[in-house]
Amino acid sequence: MHKPFIPGLGLAAVLLTAALASCSGDEDGVTPQPDAGTTERDSGLPPEDSGTPDAGDAGDDAGTPDAGGDDAGTPDAGEVFPPTTLSGFGLFTGTPAAGGLRPVEGNIPYTLTTPLFSDYSVKTRTLFIPPDTSARYSASEVLDLPVGTIITKTFAFPADLRVPEENVRVIETRVLVRRPGGWEAFPYFWNEAQTEATLANGGRVVRDVRFIGEDGVERRLDYLVPSKNQCLKCHHVQDAQDNQVLVPIGVKARYLNREHDYGGEALNQLQHLANLGRLTGLPPLDSVPRAPNAFNEEEASLEHRARTYLDINCAHCHNPKATSGTTSRLFLNVENTDAFTLGVCKRPGSAGGGVGGEFDIVPGSHSTSILWYRMDTEESGKMMPELGRALRHNQASRLIADWIDAMPPQSCK
Amino acid sequence: MHPLPLSRAPRAALLALVGLLALPACSDDDDNNTPDAGQPDSGTPTDAGTDAGTDAGTGDGGTGGVADPANWPRDFSCEGKEQATLTFNPGEEQELQDAVNALVECTTIQLGAGTFQFDNAITIRANGITVKGAGKGAQGEATGGEASTVLDFSNAAANTNGLDVVGKLFTVTDLTVWNAKKDGMRIESSSNVFIQRVRTEWSQENLESNGKYGIYPVKSTYVLVEDCEAYNAADAGIYVGQTTHTIVRRNVAKKNVAGIEIENTKFAHVTNNTATDNTTGLVVFDLPGNPIRGTDIYVAHNTITGNNRPNFASVEASSSTVSQVPAGTGTFILASRRVEFEHNTWGDNNTVDIAILSGLAIEADPVQWAPGFFNYPSADIYIHDNTFTGGSGGRVDNGTPDAERRPLGALVGAVYAYGAAVHDSPGVEHVLWDGIDPAPRNESLSNPINICVTGNTLPEGTRSALVDFDLQAVGGHLLSPTPNVAAAWEETRRYEQGAAPYNCSGFSPALTIR
Repeated sequence: MHKPFIPGLGLAAVLLTAALASCSGDEDGVTPQPDAGTTERDSGLPPEDSGTPDAGDAGDDAGTPDAGGDDAGTPDAGEVFPPTTLSGFGLFTGTPAAGGLRPVEGNIPYTLTTPLFSDYSVKTRTLFIPPDTSARYSASEVLDLPVGTIITKTFAFPADLRVPEENVRVIETRVLVRRPGGWEAFPYFWNEAQTEATLANGGRVVRDVRFIGEDGVERRLDYLVPSKNQCLKCHHVQDAQDNQVLVPIGVKARYLNREHDYGGEALNQLQHLANLGRLTGLPPLDSVPRAPNAFNEEEASLEHRARTYLDINCAHCHNPKATSGTTSRLFLNVENTDAFTLGVCKRPGSAGGGVGGEFDIVPGSHSTSILWYRMDTEESGKMMPELGRALRHNQASRLIADWIDAMPPQSCK
Repeated sequence: MHPLPLSRAPRAALLALVGLLALPACSDDDDNNTPDAGQPDSGTPTDAGTDAGTDAGTGDGGTGGVADPANWPRDFSCEGKEQATLTFNPGEEQELQDAVNALVECTTIQLGAGTFQFDNAITIRANGITVKGAGKGAQGEATGGEASTVLDFSNAAANTNGLDVVGKLFTVTDLTVWNAKKDGMRIESSSNVFIQRVRTEWSQENLESNGKYGIYPVKSTYVLVEDCEAYNAADAGIYVGQTTHTIVRRNVAKKNVAGIEIENTKFAHVTNNTATDNTTGLVVFDLPGNPIRGTDIYVAHNTITGNNRPNFASVEASSSTVSQVPAGTGTFILASRRVEFEHNTWGDNNTVDIAILSGLAIEADPVQWAPGFFNYPSADIYIHDNTFTGGSGGRVDNGTPDAERRPLGALVGAVYAYGAAVHDSPGVEHVLWDGIDPAPRNESLSNPINICVTGNTLPEGTRSALVDFDLQAVGGHLLSPTPNVAAAWEETRRYEQGAAPYNCSGFSPALTIR
C-alpha cells in the first residue's frame, strides 16, 4: 500500500481525466491548427489593423473637436491634430503659473467618488462633449461618449499634501479624444515655468519629485509620464478580434454619481450633464449605482469599499476582456461575484517572481496573499499596477489588508 | 509559482527527511484517503498514451516547411506600402521615444552604434516595425562599440520593460538590451515576430532582483528567435510562452535560472542552442491555468551541459516554477506531450540530465488545469540518438537540498544518498521519470505515457539509463510520520537503455516540424 501522493486526488483525477477525454477534441477544434502555410492562418483575425486606433497621423480630420461656427469659447482643435500644445485644444484658459487652469465653458470639471491612485498626485479632470451631441447613460459600463469627446486629466504635486492648494507643481495633462476610429490618448508635459504643456508622445521621466504626504512624511520618486503607447497598457480592452482597443476608465455612472461644486452650486455630476443636454437616458438618481468613497467608512461596507478600490485601480486590466486578466484569470471588476476568479485560494496564472505567497487571496491572511503583496510592495517588477505607481498607497494597502483579514479564515490547497 | 504538493507535507517531516532523522508522529494529513495506487483500472482514464498521439500534429498535413520562416503565413504585409527609415544615434533617446510613439506602420528604426540611455521602456504598438542596431556586442559589454548598439535601461523608471511590443510583423535585430527593470524584451499578442542577433543581459550574476525574462515573446504566433544571447535573468533567459509556431535556434543562454523555456507552446522547433551554466538548461512545460495546450516540440542538436548554477530565483514563498527546480537540472519536461529529442548533448548536470514530470508535481489540484483541458499529463516523450557525456546525477541540487524551497530535489537527493551508501548507486540516471502519470499510478501499465529512450550514446560503464522514480510511492514513504528511506529506494526502478518497455520508437503520427 502506498501513501497517496496527492490526498484526495484519486476520484477527482478519474473524473477529470474522463472530462479530458471528452473535451480535448473541442479544444483542438477551437485552436488554430498548423496549416500548410498557404492559407490564412487564423480566419478569426481581421485583416491588418482594423479598429485599432492608429498612431496619430497628423492632419487627419477625424473627430477633431471643433465647435464649428462662431460660438467663441468652445474648444477648437485648430489645424493640426493632435495640437503640439495643450492650449491648442482650447479647453482651458489661464495657466498654472498664473493662478491655475480654468476650463472653458462646456469643458466640465468632474471628480470621481474613488479615483485611481497615481503616486499621490493630485488630479483634476474635465469632460468636453461637443455641442449638439450627448453621451448615453450606462448603468455599468463607461458612458457611451460621442465622437469629439475630450477627457482631460491633469496631474500635479503640491509640496505638501496637507495644504494641497499651495506650491503646486503641475506635471502633465493627459488627453483622451474620441475619434471615429476609436479613442486616442495623448500626454502633454508642462514646462518648468508652468506656462504651457507640450505634446510628449515619448513620455518623460521627472527625476526626484518630492512632496510631504498627509502623514507629514516626505516622499520622493521618479515620476513617469507614460508614453502615448503606454496609455494602451491600462486603457485597453480586447475586441472580438483580439485587438487592443483603447477605452477610458473612470467615466462610469457609479464613479460620477456624486456632487460637484459648479460655481458655488453643488450639483450631482450626472444630473448636471443631463441638465446641459450632454447625457441622455439618465434614470432617477436614486436608481443610479454609486461606487462609494473607498476610504470613507460611513459610506459603505468594508467589502464594498475594498471591491471599489480594486475595481477602479485594477479592473482595467484584471477583467475578462483585458489581456492580463485573461492570462491571470484574476478578475477584479466589481461585477465579478465568483470567489475563485476574484483570487480566493487561486494560484497566479503565470510564472513570475516571488510575491509573498502561493495564492492571490488567502482569506484571513493578508500577509500571505499575493494580491495584497503586489499592492503593498514598492519593488520594481513585483508591484502592481505595472504603470503609474512607484509608491505604496498606504491607505489602500490597509484597506485591502483589512478586507482580506475580515474574510472567514480558510486554508488554501 | 506552484509549489510541489510535497511542500504541503508537514514541514517538520520534510526538514527531518533531509537529515534522515527520526520524527515524532505529528500528522495525519496523509491518512484521510485510502491509497488507490494499486487498484486495477483506477488509473486508466488518462488517455495519455494513446490520445496524445492523435490530439496534435494531425493538422499539419505533413507539408513540412513550418520550420522555415519564409513559409510562414502572414496576416500583415508591408508590400506596396511606404517604408520609411528613421535613424537615431546615442543622445537622441527622447527623439526616438517621441518617434516610437507616433509610428506609421512599416517603419524601420535604425539605431546607430554606441550606448543609448533610456529612462523608460521603448513601447511599440504598430505593425510592420523593424528595430535594427549595429550589433549585439559580446557578453559583459555594457556599452556599445563601433559595431554594437547597447540599449541601457539601468536608470529607467521602476517597473518598466526594455522593449515592450504589440504588433504584427515585428523585427528586432543586432542590439543589446542591458539591465532592464523587468523583462528585457517583451513581445506580446503579436504575429510574425523575428528576433535575431539580440543580447539581453543584466550586469550582475545571481541577483534575485534582476529582470525575470530576457527575450520574452508570449501569446504570439510565428516567432523566430535566432542567434541571440541571454545572460543573468532571474527567471528565464529565453522564454517562448503561449505561442503557436516558433523556431528557437543557434542561441546561447547562460547564467540564468532557466536558460531556454518553451511554455504552453504548440509547434516549437528548438535546435542548435547552447544552454550552459544555468540552474536548469532547456525546459519544456505547460503551466496550470493556461488555456493553450502545449504540444509538438522538436529539440535537436542542442548542448545542455553544466547547468549547476545555484537557484537564485526569488527567496520569497515559492511563486515561480523555476524557483523550485534543483540546481543541476539539464532539462525538465513537465505537463508536455509529443516532445522529441535527438542529437542533443547533455552532461555535467549535477542533479539529472532529463526529468520527465507530471504537471501534478507542481500543481496537484486538477481543477487548476481545467483551462488547458486538464493538460497536466506528460506523454509521448521520445529521446533518441543523443549523447550523454557523463558527470551528471552525482550531486543532487549541488548537494544542498532544500526541502522547503525545492522539495523534489530534496526527495531525490535523500533517495540517492541512501542508494549511494547502501546500493553503490553512482547517482541519478540520465533520465528520471516521476512516475505520476497517469494519476493515480496504475502498476499494471508498463509504460503508460509512452516514454521512449533508445539509441543514445551513454558514458562507458553506464548501468542504467532511466529511472522510474515513482514519486507518489517515494513521497509516501519519506513523508510518512515514520520515514522509511529503504522502502522508498525499493520503489524506484531502473532500466538499461534498450530495455523494455522504454525501447519504443517514438509516437505516431511523427512530428511534422523536424
